[in-house]
Amino acid sequence: MRGTATSLVLLLFLLILPGGLAVAAPDSAGDLPVTGEATFPFEEAFAEEAPLKVWDPIEPVNRGIFWFNDKLYFYLLKPVARGLRVVPEPARVSVGNFFDNLAAPVRFANKLLQFKLNDASDELARFVFNSTFGIAGLFDIAKEQGGVSRKEEDFGQTLGHYGTGAGFYLVLPLFGPSNPRDVVGRVGDYFLDPLPYALNNWELIGARAVDKENDLSLDKDTYEGIKRDELDPYLFIRDAYAQRRQAQINK
Amino acid sequence: MRNGLRFQKFCIQFTVAALLVMAAGNTMAAEPLTQVRSTVDEVLTLLRNKSLPHEERRQQLTAVIRPAFDFEIMSQWVLGPNWRKASPAERQRFIDLFTDLLEATYIGKIEAYTDERVEFTGQKLEGERAEVETLVKTASADIPIRYKVFRRGERWLVYDVVIEEVSLVRNYRNTYGEIVRKEGFPGLFARMEEKIREFKASKAAS
Repeated sequence: MRGTATSLVLLLFLLILPGGLAVAAPDSAGDLPVTGEATFPFEEAFAEEAPLKVWDPIEPVNRGIFWFNDKLYFYLLKPVARGLRVVPEPARVSVGNFFDNLAAPVRFANKLLQFKLNDASDELARFVFNSTFGIAGLFDIAKEQGGVSRKEEDFGQTLGHYGTGAGFYLVLPLFGPSNPRDVVGRVGDYFLDPLPYALNNWELIGARAVDKENDLSLDKDTYEGIKRDELDPYLFIRDAYAQRRQAQINK
Repeated sequence: MRNGLRFQKFCIQFTVAALLVMAAGNTMAAEPLTQVRSTVDEVLTLLRNKSLPHEERRQQLTAVIRPAFDFEIMSQWVLGPNWRKASPAERQRFIDLFTDLLEATYIGKIEAYTDERVEFTGQKLEGERAEVETLVKTASADIPIRYKVFRRGERWLVYDVVIEEVSLVRNYRNTYGEIVRKEGFPGLFARMEEKIREFKASKAAS
């Protein structure tokens, strides 16, 4: 009897340890020297951060479009966003919530396509609560009251989930960093989105423009920061995009 | 029946004991989070203190950040294969420049969130390494920032900052590698010096 109890406790340990805030994985101890000379046993310890190779065969073209987007940002998009900042922040947050809520069907469909059923039911619950109690999505009460935050999911991620490679790096005019997989993803999302069916082309472009400019007005000058800090902003954004997409897909 | 009850009692006792042991383990391990928290809090306090003269604030920020980060290890890893090709003088030169640059970059990135709330949401321990998870709560979004640390003696030193799933060090490794390949070390150093000059100029201006 005691044997059973002990093994039960052991089992309990084994079940809990790999989960949340666990302790000591035996294999990784000793990778990093605690003291002494900093030579090069580090390569192994940092193996998980293996550099991400981004295939960029049309770099000169991409850099050209990057330059164009840079000008577009500083001479058109950003001034408009700065103008929007006269609107009080809470109102702009609500506008952002409204558009995020409208995009719920896209996220829901992609969660279903990946058989992430828990995420899909969360998405559905968020949509129902925020559309009703959150007054047509203006308030994200599912997050504020229910603690269920929005989780991004798009068709590019769905394709990645099923093993589609990113392909080469591609900078799109206006839209920015992308790749063939995510271009197909954009097209897929367009068809999963109810908005294009409800609006005519100009209304759709207007809605998208308001959404993006509103987001940009809430952004804390991320692009300016990258331009200020980085030796080569083009490379930084290229590699950051690849890293971020990969992390989103792996989630 | 009696046996069953005794068995249950055993299970409960052992579970409680197990939980206690785990709780004790966790308090001992709270170290990385506590250390990163105190660094981040100090940095934010300094950034929020607008009455401090600029030069003095910069010096105090340096005094907080330098001992908390391991710029030497970061430098080695960022240069990767190029580290081995570099002469000792070039290595030292790189460490110095990289330290200045990364410090300024980190301050710049966290400065944007000076007015926001930073929550410390947890830590993951893995032997000599750990990850401290933070969440910057802005009005419109929660931005996850993770600090990767490893133990060196008594202290946990930061060797990477991961902002929204983008590891800074991993990104630098690519960028710097590419610049060294195209322009060699002289080109890289020139670019880094140029950036540092820009930082100093903008800091003096503001």
